[in-house]
Formats: sequence, structure tokens, C-alpha cells
Amino acid sequence: MQRWKVSLLLLAVTVLSLAQNGQQFVTPEIKRVGQKLACLCRSCKNTVADCPMLECHYAKPAREVIAAKQAQGVSDQAIINEFTKKEGLQALAVPPAEGFNVLAWVMPFAAIGVGLLAIWWFIRRFSARKAVPANDIDPALLDRYHDEIEKDLAKLE
Amino acid sequence: MTFAIAVLLILGTLLYVLGIRRKDLPPPIPISPTQHLEERKAAIYENLRDLQFEYRVGKLSDEDYQRTKAGLQKELAGVLGEIDRIRKEKPEAIAAAAAAPAVGKRLRGSICPHCGAEFDKIMKFCGECGKAIEG
Amino acid sequence: MENIGALSLLLAFCFSIYSVAASLVGKWKRKPFLVLSAERAVYAIWALVSVASGILVYALLTGDFRLAYVAAHSNKAMPNVYKFSAWWGGQEGSLLFWSFLLASYAAIVVWTNRKKFRDMMPYVVSVLMVTQAFFLMLITFIVPPFQVLAVGKGITDVGDGNGLNPLLQYWTMAIHPPMLYLGYVGFVVPFAFAFASLVTRQPGEAWIHETRRWTIITWAFQSSGILLGAGWAYAVLGWGGYWGWDPVENASLLPWITATAFLHSVMMQEKKGMMKVWNMVLISSTFFLCIFGTFLTRSGVLSSVHAFATSPIGNYFVAFLAAGIALTVYLILDRLDYLKSEAHLESVVSRESAFLFNNLILLASCFAVLWGTMFPLISEAVTGEKISVDAPFFNRVNVPIGLFLLFLTGVGPLIAWRRSSVESLKRAFLAPSIAGLALIVLLAVLGVRHPYALISFGLCLFVTVTVAMEFWKGARQIAAKSGQNLAAAMVELTHRNTRRYGGYLVHMGIVLMFIGFTGAAFNKDATLEVAPGQMFRLGAYEMKVTDLIKGQNDNYQWAYSHVEIFQNGSQIGVLKPERRMYLSPPQPTSEVAIRRRLNEDLYLNFANVTEDGKVVLQAYIFPLVSWIWIGYWVLLIGTLICLAPSKQKLSYARTQVVGITKKHATVES
Repeated sequence: MQRWKVSLLLLAVTVLSLAQNGQQFVTPEIKRVGQKLACLCRSCKNTVADCPMLECHYAKPAREVIAAKQAQGVSDQAIINEFTKKEGLQALAVPPAEGFNVLAWVMPFAAIGVGLLAIWWFIRRFSARKAVPANDIDPALLDRYHDEIEKDLAKLE
Repeated sequence: MTFAIAVLLILGTLLYVLGIRRKDLPPPIPISPTQHLEERKAAIYENLRDLQFEYRVGKLSDEDYQRTKAGLQKELAGVLGEIDRIRKEKPEAIAAAAAAPAVGKRLRGSICPHCGAEFDKIMKFCGECGKAIEG
Repeated sequence: MENIGALSLLLAFCFSIYSVAASLVGKWKRKPFLVLSAERAVYAIWALVSVASGILVYALLTGDFRLAYVAAHSNKAMPNVYKFSAWWGGQEGSLLFWSFLLASYAAIVVWTNRKKFRDMMPYVVSVLMVTQAFFLMLITFIVPPFQVLAVGKGITDVGDGNGLNPLLQYWTMAIHPPMLYLGYVGFVVPFAFAFASLVTRQPGEAWIHETRRWTIITWAFQSSGILLGAGWAYAVLGWGGYWGWDPVENASLLPWITATAFLHSVMMQEKKGMMKVWNMVLISSTFFLCIFGTFLTRSGVLSSVHAFATSPIGNYFVAFLAAGIALTVYLILDRLDYLKSEAHLESVVSRESAFLFNNLILLASCFAVLWGTMFPLISEAVTGEKISVDAPFFNRVNVPIGLFLLFLTGVGPLIAWRRSSVESLKRAFLAPSIAGLALIVLLAVLGVRHPYALISFGLCLFVTVTVAMEFWKGARQIAAKSGQNLAAAMVELTHRNTRRYGGYLVHMGIVLMFIGFTGAAFNKDATLEVAPGQMFRLGAYEMKVTDLIKGQNDNYQWAYSHVEIFQNGSQIGVLKPERRMYLSPPQPTSEVAIRRRLNEDLYLNFANVTEDGKVVLQAYIFPLVSWIWIGYWVLLIGTLICLAPSKQKLSYARTQVVGITKKHATVES
């Protein structure tokens, strides 16, 4: 009985997926625009151009929209603008470099800058001999151990 | 059944965790007051060995080698001096630590409890002072 | 049985709290009884959590569908190995798994150090057990794994369970989560040691050797976990991607990066007693990033393919993180005098500086990944509008950073410790630079135009030459002295300083991986509807679908097609991409067919069958991708070599290490 139900369900699912089959192909033109748009299917971090899921419920219709608009001769930017009008800024694959979202791009490199400053500070601070308790030891002490050290050193492989 | 297992589980773990007899306690391990200096010394020798090798394979110029080596030797002398100073100040702590095997090292053989001499074989009598070594 | 399991967890929770209290009181009041009792509690917790885990696994294997967890994550038809791996397939079970691994690690730590570090072990135990108490609290009170299904007043069971997500029914998926967890959990141990050394103001460097060892072991697990995940994604998901910049993937990368930075900068501490504060910061960040990663996977704050169902445990994680970070920061600030540097920088041109830059770049990439992962949340909070930060962002920011890191991988080993004169640097850099530049020119002439790919290949050769020179020069030196042949001398060389030469091997592994990553710049793909008997072409391959075969077993229905592959007119193989429809839960999966070769993989995904009986195939060519997996094995071997003890002839006055006058001592180390 159980098996029977599952088979029925399976049949339904298969028919459904067969019915949905359609245009999947990404032409270079679609790719050019699609690469700038985020796939909003919520299970990948890809763009509309390279979302790999067949039958993706977001990427596939989006590609069809792009193809249709391109056939009408709409410019790339205009197509992208239409997407952002409909979905908001999240339609873009990467945050736009304006307003608050500039930070997305600036911060990683600002972090490198801060890091460089930190290194500069570190080198300056620790290059100075006085930075640490000096190991300027008494020359007499060095003399006392000099022979012992040399002897041990000779034994080192 | 379940109840019996539950009681057994509780009592068993409690007994294991709380039932500590005196002989279960590990003997205290005396730490040599110079131990961290000995580690430092080993690290410097390691650095020196490394330096020598890099110099031999031609990664260092003569001048770099001599300067770095001199620096390391100076550091080493400082550490050795410090060790000797502590030895003079606290001979009893050193002796206590030496009597117990040092951390991570195993002594094979006997140590005479009377004169402190060490042997790489198990000895019944000390080869230095002749007294009996127990255990 | 489930009652015993729940009781074990409750007991373990009580013991973990007891262990923390007993350790601390025992230490402060100098009561060795309490300290020992706390350590025994660690073993007891291990036993109890093992009992609980055993009961859950038994229930999974025997299909005890009265348990909600079993009903949700297992079913009758699944093979036993996946029934077992359902242990970590869901929220409750995976938290129990976390707890079990932590208990095991803690038991090993206590056992191996039962005669060492007596003054700091109580604190090590406390840190481990506080973490353990946190996780046990979650599985005892918040998300208990032993909940039974009840209808009305009676316990009931369902006929069959939901089963594990079929995408996860693949062999690497049975290993990938445990490996990653071993990594995540393992970083608790170095943190515990670092924390304890801070509290006790541990003199000397012995504890840092211990910490470094644990970090390497854990790092190896973490690397394995990440790469097995990548390998799984490549072979299972049907689109040939191995890394998607998903929040959870990023979360596993973050502690790996900080641990890598730690493993480099810790050398400065071991060799010269420098960078102590920084190393503390790194090891603590690694631990907290691990907890943060666990939090990301479970709280549902970011949408992700990996995330477990949203649950209320997020807030507990936030509280734990906040308290832990506050305490650590306070402790570091309070002990700054103890962390004071013992040495200074002799020269700006030195290995030390190279390490500084290496740390900077690693941390920058860590920050960039973290920033990109969290930015959608931050931006939405500030501007009120949702934005997307997708793969192109991460690639654009991280590719240049990664290439610079690759460059430093080659530069670092060429610069001597303490100081390097410009003259010797010129000599050292000459051959590798010429080799790298020559390769770039050659590839450009051959028609490679992708700028990053050119730079990457050039740098890969640059690093390879530097590593090869290190081995060759060292081996030649030994061969000249001992009269061995060069191969034997290389083994001897590695044996003498396993850390360094093992480390170079790890670098080589990274280089090989970069070769694989760079191959992605030349991927080709096509999606085609082909009727049986029809030929199609991708890259250098011609393919012909000859057959379509269907069938069914208990677990799934399947269909696969025979695809004959031709190159230059002659047949070179047959691929059988398969499509499965699992019965429970009803979900389709792809069993892709891959022809793996060193130069490129041919990758076929059986996507669908059309109404008129055509096969929908996704065909991909992935150049050089195999080198990623080869690089992983090299990396793993290198890591294992690092862990092997070096053969040393330290015959200097070694007697002094042990103590006073010794005339006939033999010391084994």
C-alpha cells in the first residue's frame, strides 16, 4: 500500500518536472546581463547566468525575461534596472558601489591598509633595541661561556 | 529494568568521580626553577643549528651569518648565566627536580639516593659511593 | 532506552559543571583530591555521552521510529552507513555529536597530560568543560535528541521515517561532517591551553609546543573536512562547482584561515619569544570563529543550503560568544606584561617581516570573507533594503588577495631569519623569478589571455622552484657530507627538520590546489537535448548518446544513459550519467559521470528526459580540476610529516636539561 502511494507520488512529480522542461540554454548575450544579476532562489550564491540548477525557479524565468527584452532591443542597463525595480537592490549580484554599500567594497581593502599601518608600527616599535629588555649582557659573561658554546656548536649537526 | 540501569549509571559514575583514595593521587612533580631557561636554551641551540645549515647551503651571506650568530651566542650566554645564577641561589630546588624524572623524558637506569650519581643500567649498589640503591 | 540516553546527558551536564567547579576550587584551595576528581569527571562525561550516542545510533540502525529524531532523519530503506551518519544529519544529533567529540578530545587531553602541566591543567579542564557544559545544556534542555513522538497520552511510532536527504547519501558526505566537526571541536584544545597559560602566567614555551601540535592535528582535520565537502559538491551537485561562497562554507573557512596564520606566527614565538599577544589573539579568534560557524549553521540568521531548520538556539550561542570573548579580551589586556616580547626585530628584511605580511594577508582574506558573509545583514540593518553579496564579490576581492598570498608562500622561505642582505636575496630570487616570468611569457605566446590565470600559473612555478631549490640545496649539502645519493639525502633532510620540510610540502599542496583553481578560468559547458544516436561536441570531445536505461530499487528509481566519448575519431570511453528519484523524501538527485584526467575532467550530468524521449545533458569540461584533490593529498602528507618528530643530534651538554652532575646518564627524549 505504502509503496503504491509513493509510486503514485513519484509519477506525479515526474510528470510535473517533464511538463516544466523548456529553454535552459544560456547564450553569450544572456550571460552578459545575467552575470550582473543575483539568483534569488535562496539556495545558491550564484548569478542568473551561472546558476546550475535546472528548473531553478528564479534563474530560469529571469533568463527568459532577459532573452525576451533583448529581442525587443532593450539595452543591458535598462534590463538590469527593470530587475532592480521589481526586486530591489538584492537583484544585483554584488552590492552597488554607492551610498552605504560602498563599504562592502572599501572595507576589505581598508582592512589591508590598517594592517599595513599596524605592521609599520610594529616594525618601528620592535626594531628599536630599547623596545625590549636589552640582552646587552656583560662582555665578561659572554667570554665566560664563549668556549662552552663554541664547543657545543661544533657538536651540532 | 530501566530504573535499575539508571540507578546503576548514577551510582557508578558518582563512585568513580568521587571515590578517590589517597594512593590514586599522582605524586607531585617538582618543576625545576630553570626549566623554562633550559627550554629557551634548547630553542637557541636549535636556531644556531638552523643558521649553520642555512649558511652552508648558501642562503646567507658571510656577514649576515656572522652577525646573526654573534647575536644568538650573546643571547645564549645570557641564558646560561641566568641558569648558573639560579643554581647558586636555589640548589635544593634543582636537586629536588633532578631527583624526579624531568617532564617528557624517561630515565633508564638508576639514580643513587645517597650521592645523586646516575647510571644507565639498573644497579643494586651505587658504583660511585657503594651504598645500596632501592627499587 | 531513550530514558537512559536522556539521563546520561543530564548526568554528563551535571558532571561538566561539577568538573569546572572542582578544578577551580581544587586549584585555588590546593586540594589535589578535587583536581583529580575533576579529571575523572572528564572521563565519566566521555562514558556518559558515549552511552547516549550509542543509544541514539542503535535507535537509528534498528529504526526505532518512536523517536522523533529517528523518524525525521532515517528510514528503513537507507543503507546502514547512512543510517549511522544520520547521527549528525540533524540539529539534535549533530549537537550530540559535537558533544561526543569534545568529550573525546577532553579525555585524550587529560590522559596525555596526566603527568604534565600540573599547574595549568585545572584551567585547561575548566575551559574544556565550560564549553562542554554549554553544548550539553543545549541537548539536555533546548533541543533534546531523545524526544519521543506522542499522540495524546500514548507514545506512538510512525511506520517509516523521512530518511536522510538523498543528496547527502554519498560516501564523502559520510566523512565530510565528522572531519569538519573534528576540526571545529579540536580548536577548543589549543584555546584551552592558551587560556590556561594566560591565567597561570606559564613560564617557558613548553605549553606552546603542545598547543601547536594540537593546532596542526586540528588544522589537518579542518582542511580534510573543507576539501571533502568541496569534493562532494563537485561529484554530487551536478554542476561541477566545488566552492559556492555559501555562508556555511565561509564559516568553515574562517577558523581555518586564522589557524593557518597562527601556525605561521607561532614560529616567531617559539624561535624568538615575539608576537605573544598576537598569537593569543589568533588562537582565541580561531576558537570563537568555530563557535560562530556552528552558530551560523544552526541559527538561521543567514539563508544557506547547509543550514539546519531554524531553531531557538541562536540566542544561546550569541550569549556564549559574547561572554567568552569578553573574558578573553579582559584576560589578555590584564596579562599584557606577561605577554611582553622578549626580542626585537633585527632587520626589516627578514623572515620575521615576511611572516608579518603573511599574517596580514591571511587576516585580510579572513576579514573579506567574514565581511562579505555578514554584509547583507549589516546593510539591511542600516539602509533597510535587502542586498545580495554573491560569488562575484568574493571572487573579485579574494582572487587578488589569494594570489598575493601565493607570492608570499614563495618569498618567505627565501628570506633568512633575523636578517637577509640584499645581495643574498638577489641570488635566491633570480632562478625562481626567471622561471615564473618565462612561464608567463610562454603561456601568453601560446594564447592564454586571462590575466589572473597568467599571474597564477607564473606564481605557481615561482613557488615550486623555490621549494625545489630548498630541497635540492639541503639534500646536496647532506649528500656531500655523508656520501648518500640525492634521494636518500632528501629523506634524511626531511627527517632532520620535519616541521620545515613538511611545511614546504604543505606549501606544494597549496600550489597544486591553486593550479586546480586557476583551471576554472577555462571551464567550458553546454546544455543539450540529444536524441539517442545523435552526436554532439564539446571542446575536443565528440559524444553520442546510445542508450537510455531505467529501473527501480527499494530506495530510489533510476534512469541512466550510455554516452560514448570520441576524441579524434576514436572511442576513448563510455560515461553513464544517472538520474535518481528517491522515494523518501521524494527528491531527484544526479549521479554525474566524470572522466577524470590530469589535464581536464569531462563531466556529464543527466538532467532530464523530455516528452519526446530526448535526453537533456549538461556537459562540462573542467581543466586541471584534479590537481585540487592531488594538492589535498600532498597537503595531508606534508601535515603528517610536520607532526612526526625530527631526528636531532642535539649532543650539546644535554645533561643540564635534567639537572645536576651526571656522569653516566643516558637520557631518552
